[in-house]
Amino acid sequence: MDEFDDNEIARLLRLKRYEQPPPGYFENFLHEFHRRQRDEMLRQPLWRICLERAHGFMLRLDGRSLASYPAAVAAVLVCAAVISLKIYQQPETARVALQSPPALSAPASAEGEWSLTSPVATQIFTTQPVRRFNESAQTHRAAAPPRYVLDSVPVSYEPTFRF
Amino acid sequence: MPRKAVFALIFCFSASLLFAQEQAAKTGRDRVKDTFERVMAQAESATAVSHQVKDVFERAAKAVVKIHGVDEHSPICGTGFFIDPTGTLYTAYTVGGEAGNFTIEFGGKKYPARQLLADIRSGTAMLKIDAPTPALPIGKSEGLEVATPVLAVGYPLDLPETPNFGMIAGFDRKYLGRYFSTTHLRVNLPTQRGEAGAPLLNMKGEVVGIVVSSLENNSACYAVPIEAAEKIRRDFMRFGEARHGWIGINVTMARQPVEGSLAEMKQIMEDTPAARSGIKSGDILLQVGRKRVTQPEDVLDASFFITAGDIVPITVMRGNQKLTFSVQATLHPASRSGVLLASPGTPAINQQAMPLSLGSDVPPTP
Amino acid sequence: MDQPRVDPDQELVKRTQSGDAGAFDELVIKYTPRLYGLVYNMTSNHEDTNDLLQDIFAKAYRAISGFRGKSSFYTWIHSIAVNMTLNFLKKRGRRFQLSLDDVDASIQNDKEFLQSTATNSPVREADLSELQRRLNEAMMKLSDEHRAVVTMFHIQGMPHAEISKILRVSEGTVRSRLFYANRQLQNYLDEFRKNPVS
Repeated sequence: MDEFDDNEIARLLRLKRYEQPPPGYFENFLHEFHRRQRDEMLRQPLWRICLERAHGFMLRLDGRSLASYPAAVAAVLVCAAVISLKIYQQPETARVALQSPPALSAPASAEGEWSLTSPVATQIFTTQPVRRFNESAQTHRAAAPPRYVLDSVPVSYEPTFRF
Repeated sequence: MPRKAVFALIFCFSASLLFAQEQAAKTGRDRVKDTFERVMAQAESATAVSHQVKDVFERAAKAVVKIHGVDEHSPICGTGFFIDPTGTLYTAYTVGGEAGNFTIEFGGKKYPARQLLADIRSGTAMLKIDAPTPALPIGKSEGLEVATPVLAVGYPLDLPETPNFGMIAGFDRKYLGRYFSTTHLRVNLPTQRGEAGAPLLNMKGEVVGIVVSSLENNSACYAVPIEAAEKIRRDFMRFGEARHGWIGINVTMARQPVEGSLAEMKQIMEDTPAARSGIKSGDILLQVGRKRVTQPEDVLDASFFITAGDIVPITVMRGNQKLTFSVQATLHPASRSGVLLASPGTPAINQQAMPLSLGSDVPPTP
Repeated sequence: MDQPRVDPDQELVKRTQSGDAGAFDELVIKYTPRLYGLVYNMTSNHEDTNDLLQDIFAKAYRAISGFRGKSSFYTWIHSIAVNMTLNFLKKRGRRFQLSLDDVDASIQNDKEFLQSTATNSPVREADLSELQRRLNEAMMKLSDEHRAVVTMFHIQGMPHAEISKILRVSEGTVRSRLFYANRQLQNYLDEFRKNPVS
């Protein structure tokens, strides 16, 4: 045919839906999302964290539970978490926290980042700022984990039977 | 009946029963013995295979290395192996072909490496470090058959050198409708990311192929036969580069077989060795060099091993006449332009896309 | 515009709004593959797509308490995705690096592709692969808004009505952008056909 009609364009475009990220990408995505959420939360000012936690707590509360013992325990736990955050966010008071050993053994390059999750769940990453749109993609390439090479088709390819 | 006779009868009957039982037991014992011996032999054989595999792995692993590089998108990791004592190593093109800043991990140390050659047509690349090294012996993939056991040694992900055991599953010229530049070994051994460039070894510990890609969710892989890589290396040693040969013939499927061949010369390209030789369009191709041709795709292997400058005898059938032409191959036009049969859409960067199943991914219309 | 009768994500959204972070995780798992295709085909870069997706879900998580269900969650999250991607593209300008994906690898399983190559004609296969590469180039030459509608309609398979809701433009605008974009793509690919690679 001399010209592409809409069907040909549409067909070629439909084939693009098969372009996919490397294997394992989607599995890792949620993990990475959680990590970024934690990083972002740790960077928030303390008052904001308290406010959000209190707001969340109040949303979950109703009249009956106010009188319940678990509610009191939850309140104590929230306060304890807030106090912990306060301690961990102020480096000059970190010495107090060191009386109890860290939940995770941080790699030497880490900056004393604390994870609020259980020791089994995650490893500690160096905090990275939430991505700004004016950052070039190259900064991410430099910090990117390596790509372990094994393609799904060989590169050698002969388009015709000619020699 | 007299009592004595009765007793005698009972006695004989019992005796014969006992005798029969004894015989059966003896046969049973023989059978058990046979079975036991067979099991023992199999166990010994399995132990022998296990020892052999372990032995091949332990010897070969010393010469297999992890390769680090950086391509235009990210750091990359792959596998390679030394083939001479001066630090020359083979890897896959997808590892050593389009990246730079290579570092090789070997013997607990890291060495900078430089690229000697990268050839997309063979899917291989050669790097070099400046250090004395062990080397893997080169074998022949021609000796392989379907179900021949083989071993690969690679560096998956961020793990140490790892053996992979499997068998030759086939010798493929194409995959999902796309033709390779030369027959590839399809191997049923599971490969993981990072193992591109791993050597494929026979049970003597000789390299018979280089792992270049996985298929079907890494349950199997393709390996380039070592002869293909060696052809490129020979070119490099002689000329300092890969010299893919070119005759200038386009081949198509003939309507009917002639002398057992269905490969018809569709087009003789202008100003090529074929045009100058007297070969004509319509001739039926029977042989290229030593390679017998029976269908168009046979030219792929024949052509791959032609080096520019080689004199190649080409036998054709023209009508009732069998003719042989000696044709001197020139340099492949793609080599000259610097883009050697690059697959549209390559370089190999980010080629790890896995195809989706054909289940629809169209989002629901709310 | 029609209200969806039942938003299949309604339950998960409610649970998230009540503080159940696990429910939001389920929404992330559900929508990541779909949004990946959308964002990637607009940016043509894996790293940027990954970063954008993270930001999209982060924004959605922050804003979900204000989601009132006037549209479906599907429409809502796609709006966020498209708008954030368009903003990003404006700021990125033309400094992008194309991730040269090998579509050859991935189109092999497409039924249409397999049928079209059933004759095992290698010349035809070469044309198709080259076309795909040219198509990628042509897509990047479209304006960001035109590429967005092409991605949503042809690649993601969204109907005009849905696209108009997401972009907050009329269906007529969606159709005319598609028409114009198709013409552009045709022109670029016609140029290729007139000067094929030998």
